[in-house]
Amino acid sequence: MKLFKYTLLAGAMVIGATSAFAGEALDRVMSKGKLVISTDAEYPPQSSINADNELIGFDVDVGRAVAKQMGVEAEFVTPGWDVITSGHWAGRWDMSVGSMTPTKARAKVLDFPAVYYFTPAALVVHEKNTSILQTSDASGKKVGVGVSTTYESYLNKKLVIDADNVPEFSFVVDDADIRTYDSDVLALDDLRLGDGVRLDAAFTALPTILEAQKNGYPIKVIGPEALFMEPLAIATAKGDPELNAKIKDAVTALRADGTLSKISKKWYGGDLTQ
Amino acid sequence: MNQMFMEIWERPSARRSLFFILVYLSLLSIDFSSLYEGTNFALGATTQIELTRGLMAAAIVLNFVLITRLPKRIQLYVTWAELLILFLYFFYSFDLSYGYIWARLPHLLGFGLKNGFLMGAALTLFMCVVSIAASTVLALVAALARLSNNGIALGVSTFYISFFRGTPLILQILLIYIGLPQIGIILNPIPAAIIALSLCYGAYMAEIFRAGIQAIPAGQGEAAKALGLKDVQIMRLVILPQAIRLIIPPTGNQFIAMLKDSALVATLGAWELMYMARLHGRAEFKNMEMMITAALIYWMMSMSMEYFQAKVERKFGKGIDVSSV
Repeated sequence: MKLFKYTLLAGAMVIGATSAFAGEALDRVMSKGKLVISTDAEYPPQSSINADNELIGFDVDVGRAVAKQMGVEAEFVTPGWDVITSGHWAGRWDMSVGSMTPTKARAKVLDFPAVYYFTPAALVVHEKNTSILQTSDASGKKVGVGVSTTYESYLNKKLVIDADNVPEFSFVVDDADIRTYDSDVLALDDLRLGDGVRLDAAFTALPTILEAQKNGYPIKVIGPEALFMEPLAIATAKGDPELNAKIKDAVTALRADGTLSKISKKWYGGDLTQ
Repeated sequence: MNQMFMEIWERPSARRSLFFILVYLSLLSIDFSSLYEGTNFALGATTQIELTRGLMAAAIVLNFVLITRLPKRIQLYVTWAELLILFLYFFYSFDLSYGYIWARLPHLLGFGLKNGFLMGAALTLFMCVVSIAASTVLALVAALARLSNNGIALGVSTFYISFFRGTPLILQILLIYIGLPQIGIILNPIPAAIIALSLCYGAYMAEIFRAGIQAIPAGQGEAAKALGLKDVQIMRLVILPQAIRLIIPPTGNQFIAMLKDSALVATLGAWELMYMARLHGRAEFKNMEMMITAALIYWMMSMSMEYFQAKVERKFGKGIDVSSV
């Protein structure tokens, strides 16, 4: 009899875990009065940590603003990027504000309720480099990218961005010798060692490159500055359209009342949200 | 030929000359030319540089000769001090930002709380202490099951040991964190990490425990049986107290390894030492500063564990002279 009870319980848990009911996540957020937001705090100025051990950055401010707009408190968690993008969050956090590009591949495990800004993706080389004068010169060269990023997909010519109003782009780099890193910043770390020492170029978001330059990295951007414009979206776990609608409304309102532009100017020195 | 070489080797002055040549040759790999940039010497720059190299090699040889004259204990301390200074100089040459290290150090050490819980080195230590306790219990149970006459117990225990010794810890951590929610068990990063560390190290230690228990001669158990002790009593009163002396040294080794393997939990975003070092390193592109700081903190923690292990060995090692090991 006891065994039977446990079997039932285990069965119920399995069912509970595999199907998320519409409105379930939203109910959880509203009843707790708390929106749990995941962010990847290794990317200044999007998201990083200050000397007082507090999370700061564009993503963090946007997350707070969305929570405020929804009338709940914001709480941040910092799982690894791989863990965020692999989906199956199991209700550990409700949304990700992590400058994530909505791609076809990611849309299989995640929903993208709202695009909140756009960043240019740019190629960067060491200051002393003389052989790469335009982006296409990086063909066949050692190019560093973060693992599971859109930049890696772009070099593999597999990037399909799954959002409206995205400017057209073409793949101009052929057969790059792709070197993947745990994070884009590690690629920049290898690039700074010298031209061609470990990498000939790195490929990442323009704001990340500018921030590294500001911190004394001997690197320069190769034009054109935007190989593709990346729409960056808030992501949620698949299966709760009501939460998605609520987030979409919040972002629309924040864009309309100028809050998003204000946050963008604070962190990027310009408005990237339109 | 061999004979002649041995005879030369016997003479200290010959040995030292050979040593001098070797040191001099290895110093050739270092570029001293920047030392004398812009200054003029009567001998010329090249001679001056070679002279410096020669003097340096002589100083190193002299250093060795002098140290060998000291009592053994003092030799140990002097060697440690010299290596430590060299090591710190190596880091010093990186031109690090010490102000940055100083400002972020309290967060790495884990002074203060994150969402009402421990962080930094304090969290690392907490996870390890809990995992050490849990893995010891697991290891003992698994080792006893492995040695039992029950086929099912043997099967379960060998399966457990085989899987957790045979797969990477990082995969075990991810399986427990991402995999278990598929069957409805949702764990936070810290409990997931503790479970993974306990299971993994329990499996390794089960083998150490088994070896320790098996090393006690069968006659001991038989004699205890003849005296009328029950199986549980034989294990608890006769076998284990003797086995523990053999078990402790390799177990301490495992705990030190666990302390550092806990860094793998950074993948889940638990705010332990490694993750804090990563976050603060990336914040202002000062990776090297934070990595070196974290390395030194891990090292300090390992050293205190070594100290603790030596104490435990002395306590349980009655009958074995650990000081001579």
